[in-house]
Amino acid sequence: MNTISVVKRDGSKEPFDANKINLALVKASEGLEDQIAKVVEVASQLQLTLFDGITSEQLDEAVIHTALQNVKDDPDYDKIASRLLLKNLYKNILGDYDTAPELKKLHETKFIAYVKDAVKEGLLDPRMIDDRFDLKRLAKALDPEKDDLSRYLGVVTNKNRYALRKGSGDPMEVPQFTHMRIAMGLSINAKDPTESALDFYKHMSSLDYVPGGSTRVNAGGAHPQLSNCFLINVDDDMESIAQSVRDTMYIAKGTGGIGIGFTKLRAAGSPVKTTNTESTGPIPFMKMIDSALFAVSRKGKKAGAAALYMENWHLNFPQFLDLKANSGDPYLRTRLANTAVFISDEFMRRVEADETWYLFDPAEVMDLTELYGKDFSKRYGEYVAKADAGEMRKYHKISARQQFRQILIQLQATSHPWLTWKDTINVRALNNNTGTIHLSNLCTEITLPQDNENIAVCNLVSINLSAHLKDDKTWDWKRLEESSRSAIRQLDNLVDITELPVPTAMNANKKTRALGLGMMGFTDVIEKLGYSYESEEAYDLMDQIAEYISYYAIDESTVLAKKLGSYPAFKGSGWSKGVLPIDTLDELAKNRNVKVDINRTTRLDWEALRKKVKQGMRNATLMAIAPTANIAHIAGTTPGIDPQFSQIFSRSTLSGKFLEVNANLVLDLKKLGVWEEVKDQLLINQGDIQTIDIIPDEIKAVYKTSFQLSPYAFIEVAARAQKWVDQAISRNMYLETRDIDEYEKIYTEAWKRGLKTTYYLHVKPRHQSEQTTVSSNKSEKIKQQDSRKVGFGFARAK
Amino acid sequence: MADKKDEPTGILGSSLRDGLQLKPVRYEWAYDLYNQAVSNTWFPNEVQLVQDLADFDKLSDEEKHALKTVISYLNPNELLINKSLAFGIYPHLNAAEAQIYLSKQMWEEANHFMTFEYIIETFPFDREEIYAAGFGKKSLADKAAFQNKHLEIMLSKDLDINTLEGKKDFVRSLVAYNIVLEGIWFYSGFMVGMSFRQRNLLRNVGSLLDWITRDENLHLTFGINLLLTILDENPELQTSEFADEIRELILEAVRLEEAYNKDMLPNGILGLNADYVNQYVKFMTDRRLEELGFEKEYNVGNPAKWMAAANDTLELVNFFESTNTSYEVNSVK
Repeated sequence: MNTISVVKRDGSKEPFDANKINLALVKASEGLEDQIAKVVEVASQLQLTLFDGITSEQLDEAVIHTALQNVKDDPDYDKIASRLLLKNLYKNILGDYDTAPELKKLHETKFIAYVKDAVKEGLLDPRMIDDRFDLKRLAKALDPEKDDLSRYLGVVTNKNRYALRKGSGDPMEVPQFTHMRIAMGLSINAKDPTESALDFYKHMSSLDYVPGGSTRVNAGGAHPQLSNCFLINVDDDMESIAQSVRDTMYIAKGTGGIGIGFTKLRAAGSPVKTTNTESTGPIPFMKMIDSALFAVSRKGKKAGAAALYMENWHLNFPQFLDLKANSGDPYLRTRLANTAVFISDEFMRRVEADETWYLFDPAEVMDLTELYGKDFSKRYGEYVAKADAGEMRKYHKISARQQFRQILIQLQATSHPWLTWKDTINVRALNNNTGTIHLSNLCTEITLPQDNENIAVCNLVSINLSAHLKDDKTWDWKRLEESSRSAIRQLDNLVDITELPVPTAMNANKKTRALGLGMMGFTDVIEKLGYSYESEEAYDLMDQIAEYISYYAIDESTVLAKKLGSYPAFKGSGWSKGVLPIDTLDELAKNRNVKVDINRTTRLDWEALRKKVKQGMRNATLMAIAPTANIAHIAGTTPGIDPQFSQIFSRSTLSGKFLEVNANLVLDLKKLGVWEEVKDQLLINQGDIQTIDIIPDEIKAVYKTSFQLSPYAFIEVAARAQKWVDQAISRNMYLETRDIDEYEKIYTEAWKRGLKTTYYLHVKPRHQSEQTTVSSNKSEKIKQQDSRKVGFGFARAK
Repeated sequence: MADKKDEPTGILGSSLRDGLQLKPVRYEWAYDLYNQAVSNTWFPNEVQLVQDLADFDKLSDEEKHALKTVISYLNPNELLINKSLAFGIYPHLNAAEAQIYLSKQMWEEANHFMTFEYIIETFPFDREEIYAAGFGKKSLADKAAFQNKHLEIMLSKDLDINTLEGKKDFVRSLVAYNIVLEGIWFYSGFMVGMSFRQRNLLRNVGSLLDWITRDENLHLTFGINLLLTILDENPELQTSEFADEIRELILEAVRLEEAYNKDMLPNGILGLNADYVNQYVKFMTDRRLEELGFEKEYNVGNPAKWMAAANDTLELVNFFESTNTSYEVNSVK
């Protein structure tokens, strides 16, 4: 082999030292099975990628990528890659070290200087070093061993998205610094900032819970925009439209996710009095928002994104449906913005009864946008009568069922619009004394009211269920209670620390103190417990866990209300009347006059809590289950309440495309001694184990792909949680069927069981590119069908 | 309506009037491919290529050169495939289901061609400079000569599909264009293109390549099915001399590709060097040989294990950050 030389950081050259690489690999694979075999595997594959003049940075990258590409054979390689990346981060940011105690000391000695420098450079809030924090104590508490809890994707996601950065773009923080910075940033206004920071740090470094993306990026920063979700409803006038574009730009710049409602905008062709012309309708204004998003989107850290909402009685709803089609006039398409439809009970009733659905110009029926439930149905009926009597300037009729099918067809082809239900959302809301909820947000889990003076805001933290399941498969209920309470305290602090980019958002924030505590890791825990996602055990577990978290979240809010006062709009809310989320199911059933098909069982003493709630609540809302697509990587667990996408699959993110093999499955298969035998077949089957004979049925039942699970399982899991969650749940759907009749049944059932919203629809692809890392032969299928066709094989037979 | 004596008997044929009826479908595989191809329809401007410009600036000179080379090679050759289908394959087939599939494939080649145009227009490529870089390189000229030889055969007015020699020429052309150009040479270019995404660069180019390789899978499935059907229906082609000739044609193509890759990647870029790419080429060639019923030649593994993540698995997209390339259109029952 030719001599390869490596170019160091200072420009000097040295010959490639295979031994140095081997030692690093040995250290990174400590504690893993077949350690030496793994080291040799990575080292030999690495040789193939070397070339003369490779820089030491490129070499570091190459070793990590070489380790990663073996994950399909053994998830242990992920651990190797993760440790290698951590070592690079420690070396580059903190300096050299040899042992674990040295590393801890290094963290301790470098922390204070890091915070001071960052403040000096204007990156961090000066309050971080104004003596309210006992920095020495905090520095001592830093525990780098906690980094070993993370997987590679977590380390690289933190490095690329959340870590504080220098002007050059290089991170200034090692992972434990990030946790501490966030803990401090959310304790700035606490009574005892140091104690508060230590408490938050303890939970976050142990991955008990993870704050939402915007919080992770900006906590402790000089410009603490910490809120994650914003909801804007646009009014039918130029001022409001212009304001919404402006607000979108500022919020997107601050990494927020936005929901924008357009139902009020008059339809295309509707007269504009001030200019004696006609309106172009809402679509061109949606296009403007899409362009604004593109202009402001930031590379690297979280990009702002938006979901556009419209009620389906709007005359231009058909054009709204086309916004995400893949071909057509680009002026009538929104490539970046997502779309969601806000559906009333009245519509669902008409679909069921196969009646007509009328579309109107909001200019003629503006009050419909503020009404919901029975009141909406009544008024809608009055407008329908007027239309039939020829008294409406403009309207359109379509079979309700036909429109429902159109929505579902578009959903299948483009994954938009997401279906959300206006009346379930509004009727069940406890903070229902400050106005109508006109839309949900970017990820369909926030349900808060908004108007001209108030852009709704929500702040998110997600509890990592995996951290609360002990190794002996029992729950650490005490820890779960502590985590829930700590998370609520953290979120409540956030309300007063966050600086919002728009004043109308500040109004809403102060008035409601709305929180969104959620959860992630559901599938990870049920796999460890041996439950299938579509089992009564799993449903019951969700019911129990959601109730538990909700109970302690509400309780902590009453505790904070006693100490610090209720949220300003508490009086007149459902809370103030002693109404709890579980009570609102019956209210919903009464209002829509249709059963809400979910059990009403409770396990905890809600009567005791009800008394406390009546006396005061610190926050208008407590819970919302976000998708947690990125923060789940930090926790190294499955996102939100989502099932396993497939048992082996690739994830496409801003940080790259990564292979994921289900570590729980691999562990179970290794225990049976069959992993080596099945791993290639697993890849050929694209993560489906159902046809692999050697795997026992019990394992097959627990490890199905998302497309193999019954769609009704997704609905049931969400329905159980929705009993307790006072906002909503980002319910991803995964369907193999393409039959629109099935889709009708599924989404109708979702509504019947009380789901407030659904989210992205994944449809199983029927066709992929040719696989290249497992054997594949296009002629196999033909040969099976017709044994005569052997191609040039006749030459062999002779 | 064709007379009984004009009724098509095999998949090869030359009459304009033949193969105007779809049903009864004689070649289910062609009909299935048509339907799947329609569902796979995509358009290059669904992807925001301009987001990759920042990545392009970060590339080293060698990396930029490798990328430019791959793109400027693939771009005209997609159109060449389109022509080879029009002149060399389509006119000699005799089944409606095959011809409607080829019509879609020809559009797909046009779509691929336009995709590479989109890439060339977006990135700061100097077309003159790129084409000049290949000029004078013997390895590129040799590959072009290989293609031209078979193009001449296809365009020859003397090719009579009803004769043995005509059928042999057809098979040679099909192998040269579908198996070699599309199935081996293109795949090596795609792999180089996708390797950037594994290092988190040029992710949007990666999405476009996902769609292109998804199409190519169908193109190759068609070509292979067609070859096997022709051999089966025309037993006079089943001689060991002809089998050897075709095998040698494929192996010669690999030698040409190896020389070309050594020229194009003289120093190597992160994750790739000429030996690495050439091992991949041999691995893919073995697969093509097996698909045609031959035995493997090289017996090497795929050095690019990262393609398991890049290409072999179902993809879960964080759709705020990446384009979802898994959807289908017009697929409602």
